[in-house]
Amino acid sequence: MPQPNGVIDLQHLTKRYGRTLAVDDLSFTVLPGHVTGFLGPNGAGKSTTMRLVLGLDAPSSGAALVNGKRYASLPRPMHEVGALLDAGAMHGGRSAFNHLLCLARTNGIGPGRVSEMLERVGLAGVAQKHVGGFSLGMKQRLGIAAALLGDPGVLMFDEPVNGLDPDGVRWIRDLMRSLAAEGRTILLSSHLMSEMALTADHIVIVGRGKLIAEETVQELTTRYPSLEDAYLALTAGSLEYGASGS
Amino acid sequence: MSVLASEWLKIRSVRSSHLTVSISLGGILLGLGLAWMAVDMYDHATPAQKPGARLAELEEVVLMVPQLCMGVLGVLATTSEYATGFIRTSLTAVPKRWPVMAGKSVVVGVIALFTGSAVIFATYFVCRALIADRFGGLYQIPFTDKLPLLTALALTVPVFALLGVGLGSILRTASGSIVVLVGAVYVVPIIVGNLPQPWSDLLGSVMIGALPHEITRDTTTNTVYGSLLPPVAAAAVLVTYALLPLLAGTWLLCRRDV
Repeated sequence: MPQPNGVIDLQHLTKRYGRTLAVDDLSFTVLPGHVTGFLGPNGAGKSTTMRLVLGLDAPSSGAALVNGKRYASLPRPMHEVGALLDAGAMHGGRSAFNHLLCLARTNGIGPGRVSEMLERVGLAGVAQKHVGGFSLGMKQRLGIAAALLGDPGVLMFDEPVNGLDPDGVRWIRDLMRSLAAEGRTILLSSHLMSEMALTADHIVIVGRGKLIAEETVQELTTRYPSLEDAYLALTAGSLEYGASGS
Repeated sequence: MSVLASEWLKIRSVRSSHLTVSISLGGILLGLGLAWMAVDMYDHATPAQKPGARLAELEEVVLMVPQLCMGVLGVLATTSEYATGFIRTSLTAVPKRWPVMAGKSVVVGVIALFTGSAVIFATYFVCRALIADRFGGLYQIPFTDKLPLLTALALTVPVFALLGVGLGSILRTASGSIVVLVGAVYVVPIIVGNLPQPWSDLLGSVMIGALPHEITRDTTTNTVYGSLLPPVAAAAVLVTYALLPLLAGTWLLCRRDV
């Protein structure tokens, strides 16, 4: 069962690549029981923040804690945290089943659970097919299956809706909400504001690596006509890459 | 143990692993073909030519096939994870990181040990059977006298494989790692062989190709390399070829952002 204390806690998290400040003194807390949307323009530092939480990148200063601990100190991390960062991050020559089993084995998870998760994300029929032939949407589903393998209390998804058909988009929305309803902590990044408004309860907005807003969807949509209007107004000053003249 | 099971599945679930092992074993067929050609030439030579006919030990000739293939297997075991981005998923599952390298090394090393031994010993026995007493009794030396050298030759194959794993982890690209692997092992010895003395013998003695003969103090074959190292030192150099890049690669893996 998910950990009751599933919390992601960022404390003055900072990441510098050479002269570029990708994440700049970022502090916020993600709590269990609801979906927290993670928004920001391209290059705002969302993916870097997730990599820092997972210990893939080392912070220049500050800390990212999961359940009060550094991710790298967790002995069987897949049982506490599940993550989907990059749907394409898999060896194309491996079957879906073997891809998941390679990951499952490291955390003492057996092939039965792998089959169960393939069933849950709707890929049971292609379990033995090479993932190189999968569409982006199928890879997203496989990545979600990987994140759920250890039944973790904390889940992070970086743009999981990309490449999914309308049916898949609806499926992700329902999945996120049901995972949150089970008491899990969900951090979800997406650029689709209408989708985010339907899925998330809390919103964290970042721009140029800094925290811009940390509010409930309800608060934002009270002050602005829609979540999209709120997002555009709040991030107007932090666009790193945008077309001119609009 | 669980990481070892994972690394074993990673290796056996991709086609390149099966391919590199198969091509390695194809070295036995190469040895068979060369032995057959040698026998044919010898039998068609005039009685006057036969006493002077010379042949290189064919198991040493075909050794480069499993050496290179298992080196490539080692390189791909690490670099394919970087090329696909799978390394990030792998390290998310095993955030301590070093067990991933340890698991890979054990799996690749054991596969290379079995493959290398199979190629060396099978080629030796094929040649022994085919060549019989031809070429001045080259294959008439008792097997027990050849056993130490054959074993040392077989051991160079896992050394190549682990060198590949280490290089792959340091350089993170397959092309770069394979260039270094081939360069260090086949180009550098040629350069060393052409250096003036005493450098040719000094440096030639630490080339991988020289080490099996030095380790076993083998006198049954001629070597193109230097032979200045005593057995223990030669064994230490062979182990260093495998471990030094591996340790450097592990150290880098544990410190780098991925």
